[in-house]
Amino acid sequence: MNATLTKGKAVTGSEQIDRHSRRRVFLVMLSRYGTLVGLLAMIVVFSVRSPTTFLTLPNFLNILNQSSLTAIIAAGLTMTLVVGEFDLSIGYVASFSGLLVVGFIARDSLPVLLGVPIVLLIGAAIGTASGFLVTKVRINAVIATLGVGTILTGVGFAYSAFPIAAGVPPEFLQLSLGKPIFGIPNPIIIMIVVLAILWIILNRTDLGQKMQAVGGNIEAARLSGIRVDRVKMFAFATAGMCAALTGTLLSSLLGSGTLAAADGYLLDAFAAVFLGSATLRDGEFHIVGTLVGVLIIAVGFNGLSIFGAPTFFQPIFKGAILVLAVGLSTLARRYAKA
Amino acid sequence: MQSDSAAWLTVRGLSKQFGGAQALTAVDLDIHRGEVHGLVGANGAGKSTLIRCLAGVTMPDEGVVTVDGEEVRIAAPRDAEEKGLAFIHQELNLVPHFNAVQNMLLGAKKATRFGLIDWRRSRRMAAEAAERVGVQFSLDRRVDELSVAERWLVMIAKALVRDASMIAMDEPTASLSDHEAGQLFNIIRDLASDGVAILYVSHRLDEVLDLSDRITVFRDGKVTDREVRGGLDKRGLVRAIAGREVTAATRIDRGPIERDTPLFSAHNVAAGRMVKDVSFDVYRGEVLGLGGLVGAGRTEVARLAFGADKLDSGSFELEGKALPPRSIPAAVGAGIGLVPEERRSQGLMLEKSVGWNINVGVLKSLRTVPGLPFMSGAKSRSRSLALIDQLRIKTPGPNQVIGGLSGGNQQKALIARWLRPEMKVLFLDEPSRGVDIGARQEIHDAIRKLADDGVGTVVISSDVEELASLCDRVVVLSEGNVSGELIGDQITENKIIELSYAHIDQGGDE
Repeated sequence: MNATLTKGKAVTGSEQIDRHSRRRVFLVMLSRYGTLVGLLAMIVVFSVRSPTTFLTLPNFLNILNQSSLTAIIAAGLTMTLVVGEFDLSIGYVASFSGLLVVGFIARDSLPVLLGVPIVLLIGAAIGTASGFLVTKVRINAVIATLGVGTILTGVGFAYSAFPIAAGVPPEFLQLSLGKPIFGIPNPIIIMIVVLAILWIILNRTDLGQKMQAVGGNIEAARLSGIRVDRVKMFAFATAGMCAALTGTLLSSLLGSGTLAAADGYLLDAFAAVFLGSATLRDGEFHIVGTLVGVLIIAVGFNGLSIFGAPTFFQPIFKGAILVLAVGLSTLARRYAKA
Repeated sequence: MQSDSAAWLTVRGLSKQFGGAQALTAVDLDIHRGEVHGLVGANGAGKSTLIRCLAGVTMPDEGVVTVDGEEVRIAAPRDAEEKGLAFIHQELNLVPHFNAVQNMLLGAKKATRFGLIDWRRSRRMAAEAAERVGVQFSLDRRVDELSVAERWLVMIAKALVRDASMIAMDEPTASLSDHEAGQLFNIIRDLASDGVAILYVSHRLDEVLDLSDRITVFRDGKVTDREVRGGLDKRGLVRAIAGREVTAATRIDRGPIERDTPLFSAHNVAAGRMVKDVSFDVYRGEVLGLGGLVGAGRTEVARLAFGADKLDSGSFELEGKALPPRSIPAAVGAGIGLVPEERRSQGLMLEKSVGWNINVGVLKSLRTVPGLPFMSGAKSRSRSLALIDQLRIKTPGPNQVIGGLSGGNQQKALIARWLRPEMKVLFLDEPSRGVDIGARQEIHDAIRKLADDGVGTVVISSDVEELASLCDRVVVLSEGNVSGELIGDQITENKIIELSYAHIDQGGDE
């Protein structure tokens, strides 16, 4: 306040406002388009530096294929963030589902077409349970979902203690290895379908509008007659189901159920979703943004490995992206409000 | 050092504008050491604004404050504390899980040893202050385990730890029993005889008359009367608060309203501390006003009818059928709506568009096909355009972000949210608060239009002029009870104010 007053002598009021608003416009632009520019810049730099390895169709399909599992789980996470909550259990749900699906199909010899849907429903049920704890029992989402996730890790241990005798059937492997249309790998197609469905729910259905209302102003949503708790539980259920799908695809990719295999998706998903919230919109969580966030991470990793960056660089890159993403998202929200 | 007979704190020419509204106009006030100074006035008369200015929460536009003869600038709560001013608001700003000692010492200079807090000596400071206000409970108890009366004592002791020379108290007895209030009065008298000035703000005129050495009356942001002890009786004080008799000429007569069978009724509704026994009827096509002081239970009754809070006893009836205890979605389904009091925090999704905010309550009706969950963009757009037009909402279009509109247009959008054929009873809580005069007129027109269309509209307002000019009938609440009803030409600002104080006037009748 005092600083402004003393400065006021040297700079006229309107000039000051001009400079201030120009700075604001710049920051809003930076936060809205910064992520997209960053993604394009990475692609251009990598393409110029390594046209034969990076700039090839197989490599692009490879990037998309690798990102599809993250994209699916991150899209589910987006739903919970849209309603103003979040879910730290998704990585554990994915790992647990990966064990479960292999158990069902390889040990219990359930057909793939039955085993996979059951696991997806179990994922949705776990999400609903988290949602119940958060909305009805009113446990803070951090604690509730961390608790649920940790329990699942233990249950996963117990479950995997049973020997899985037979190997997994080839139909299950085909889930992630198949290339039914134009040689596009299955995970990419599944990702596109899942993202499209979630996009339609969020933007073209009344349920999605209600989710946005709950996230925008929960009290106003409640006073508009929206069943806030149900809407939140749906978001958690979706996140759980998406996590189960990612876990299932990962097991198919690995050809086995592995303990804690998908735990690491949690951090990737968070980084992607927050990067996405600073994309095109001012700190709002949305599906297209999440996809952009996933691609940034995937392209970055791809570039790092093509250029032979040492392994220790990967967690540094990932951590930096996460901090940068949340920072950008917060900035976007702050400057859009002012 | 000035003698005790001179004013310790003086306020001269204090003025404050909010938006276009003049909240305070050239207010003068003197406070002496050791006096109990009563501040009275209707809702919005300016008492709170004055206190906020003294507390350093609001910056006045003009005016001078002196303490001990020296001009002071109170730009932040810290400045007020330094000058020895303490403020106890109704919400009692205490940290619930801290004990009484920790709360008393919060932010105060504590005794230290080797740079660390010396809890033993600090505790002694707190204990001394606690003894002055006659604290009987253990100071180690957590504040959230204490009763409201005990919390008040903690707050007063907290002020004493800081050597406050003046303590302002806002509605101290609002949630105390008669016995507890009596104890508080004794403490107040003791403090005053020790030289502490007490600024006592209350709607309970008996208390104010009983305690105060001097009383200052506010009306419309101005000081309209100053009295010393014994200068006025209750009746005179009510008259001073209400002011001149205003003719009802501003009221627009909407013609006769058929009041045979009520559309909506509240029968002996009670809930919590705020709502004790409220019954009233709403008729089809009328604008009913719910008047009363802030805290009389008006908002609470509306929230109960809307299913937002739970009833303790009593019932509601819509079109002759009992409404079971239910939820907001059930109330909405039955045709009841509520435009909430706090536009920004309870009503709007500020980052969303005007059209979005208008449609958010009726999403299901905007589906492409009733059975499928998909929204129709065309239906959404045409509904929002029609309502923008109908309510004359000034916006570049339905896609404008609603946060960018003026308060009046935001309010119109909130009303628009409820305009649908199934609407039967609409509660509007402070519909024109913080809205300019033009928008206010348009909001009133919209409310009358709604009533003309057969909706029972219930307007809650602290602005008696608004009730008098807009409503066909006014039910006045006081301390959770109905204190009276006014119809047609009976409705005047004075009568509403008289009824607002009615129960309190009858000598502490609960």
